[in-house]
Amino acid sequence: MSALPSSTIVEATSVTRQFQMPAGPVFAVRDLSLTIAAGAYTAIQGPSGCGKSTLLHILGCVDTPSSGSLTFDGQDVARLRDHARSLLRLRQIGFVFQRFYLLPMLTAAENVELPQAEAGVSKPTRLERSRELLEYVGLAARAGHRPSQLSGGEMQRVAIARALANRPRLLLADEPTGELDQATGEHVAALLDRVNADGTAVVVVTHDSALASRARRVLTMKDGRIDRETTA
Amino acid sequence: MSSVLSFAWRSLVRQPARSTLGILGVAAVGALLFDMLLLSEGLVLSMRDMLDRMGFDVRVTASEPLPGQGADIEHAPGAKRALEALPAVRSVTSVRSEAAVMRGNGISVPDAMFISVDGPTHPWTVTDGRDIAADDEMVVNRFTADTLKLSPGSVVNISASCGGRAEAPPRTDFRVVGVVTIPFEAPQRAAGATTIPGLEAACGGTRAGIADFLAVASAGDTAAALAAIAAARPDLTPFTNEQIVGRLQQGGFAYFRQISTVLITVTVSFALLLITVLLTVSVNQRLGEVAALRALGFSRRRVVLDVFCESALIVGMGGLLSLPLGWVLAAALDDILKRMPGIPEQLHFFVFRPDALVVHAALLCATAVLAAVYPMQLVARLPIATTLRNEVIG
Ligand SMILES: Nc1ncnc2c1ncn2[C@@H]1O[C@H](COP(=O)(O)OP(=O)(O)O)[C@@H](O)[C@H]1O
Ligand SMILES: [Mg+2]
Repeated sequence: MSALPSSTIVEATSVTRQFQMPAGPVFAVRDLSLTIAAGAYTAIQGPSGCGKSTLLHILGCVDTPSSGSLTFDGQDVARLRDHARSLLRLRQIGFVFQRFYLLPMLTAAENVELPQAEAGVSKPTRLERSRELLEYVGLAARAGHRPSQLSGGEMQRVAIARALANRPRLLLADEPTGELDQATGEHVAALLDRVNADGTAVVVVTHDSALASRARRVLTMKDGRIDRETTA
Repeated sequence: MSSVLSFAWRSLVRQPARSTLGILGVAAVGALLFDMLLLSEGLVLSMRDMLDRMGFDVRVTASEPLPGQGADIEHAPGAKRALEALPAVRSVTSVRSEAAVMRGNGISVPDAMFISVDGPTHPWTVTDGRDIAADDEMVVNRFTADTLKLSPGSVVNISASCGGRAEAPPRTDFRVVGVVTIPFEAPQRAAGATTIPGLEAACGGTRAGIADFLAVASAGDTAAALAAIAAARPDLTPFTNEQIVGRLQQGGFAYFRQISTVLITVTVSFALLLITVLLTVSVNQRLGEVAALRALGFSRRRVVLDVFCESALIVGMGGLLSLPLGWVLAAALDDILKRMPGIPEQLHFFVFRPDALVVHAALLCATAVLAAVYPMQLVARLPIATTLRNEVIG
């Protein structure tokens, strides 16, 4: 890792992820190399089953490649124990899921507070940061509402606020508009644009080409490999 | 930690029906558990308490320690004097009882217990009137007073059987001076007490000078009194209250302990299964959320701790609830068991002791921990990526 440009957040080198299935091994990701620079905006698209989610999980340090290497901020992720990886995700990476996964028993503000509490942020700072983030995603008025009282688009915006809670350098989103109608999806997409414009690197997995086209760099995957790459 | 607890609390509140079921289940099991703990030592403690309340700490018999069993002490006045001479002994009371027919106001009760004492220790408590002071005086228990319509000043007539001799015993009148409660007295059983000369007169002199046992109050050191008595009168056998209770514990009373051990094991296993199932179902329903929290950087320790706290809250709340529930249940069960004929009024099957609370708490704590083991393992070993993917596909 001699010539790592200082702006690189995560770098995958020849990563392969294979799953051992009864019918034989399945290669979700094959010999793939990719660098995500600080502040970049990358979209990954491709047909279902081509390995998009698997790649995103590897970049997000929740899955481990079967071979190849992954460095995050220059550290070899394979060497990190589970606890250190959790800390890395907590402080450096934000996740946004297709299914939102807000905790139903907590209010919007409490959901945003949760990762900060885990990171040991003090209560007053947490409250202030949650208020600020809900305002940022346009939901200041819904701070005290439970997820069940919010629309899908609103839930996803709260989830984005939660992902940003500990000021990550990298935001990963897997089909963030997958459960939303088009208009609401655009609203969420615009928010991701803004998050990126404000300095956070964003990687979004989607098969929605309208969402993908917002990224400066679009990777199209096929059979676990990057088939095509376009840069705006 | 408090934030983890409040998080767990909210997870419970989120599924109120399931959590209530868990808490009530633990409360019911905990109540049974508590009762079994009270039962396991209850009779022994109750017996011990009754013995202690009789006012002596050493019982001297001809052979066997249990009341009403074994041979009588012959020449009891001599034995009494010999023991009284020992410095380790403060006082000696001979006790002899016989079966008798009691009559008063034209009513009669067969099979009454006719007790007599000679000495300062009177193993009863006067509740009305006064204690006996002369050989023609008698105190009776409440049942006798009620059945024969006696009160201090009435006359009661006794025919004692005096060692089962066939010949008709004389009938003797006694003046009732008081009403008493006698430890070991059974409800619905007539009992009365007088002096040894009083009883011997009622027996017409049959087998005079015998005693069932000598009740000895030591000068303060029970063990010293025991040793002194054994040395002075090797023909007699002294027992401390503790030894008597010990004999009972090894004998019939051991069944209660065995029964409660079996029932404790069954109830605790039931609680364990109930909580494990509830937590496992609950955890399985939110694997996606757990995986999402892990992806967001929650440590393995933290998500495991959440499950543990939920278990602790369910078991803790159920456990607290189980104490008043167990208390009421114990009182009801004690009542039912005491309806068995011949059970002394002051004997209890369920007796509270502080260490029952400690064992209760310890067993429930162990339940909370063990019940959480499997669901904790489930979240600890959760593959984050695969779970997130399966949740979207499934
Ligand atoms: N945990 C897994 N176990 C078995 N096969 C898997 C697993 N995860 C992914 N795969 C397989 O890997 C391939 C890529 O999956 P995925 O990354 O989810 O694709 P995408 O997100 O592009 O739809 C698929 O063929 C899928 O069946
Ligand atoms: Mg996918």
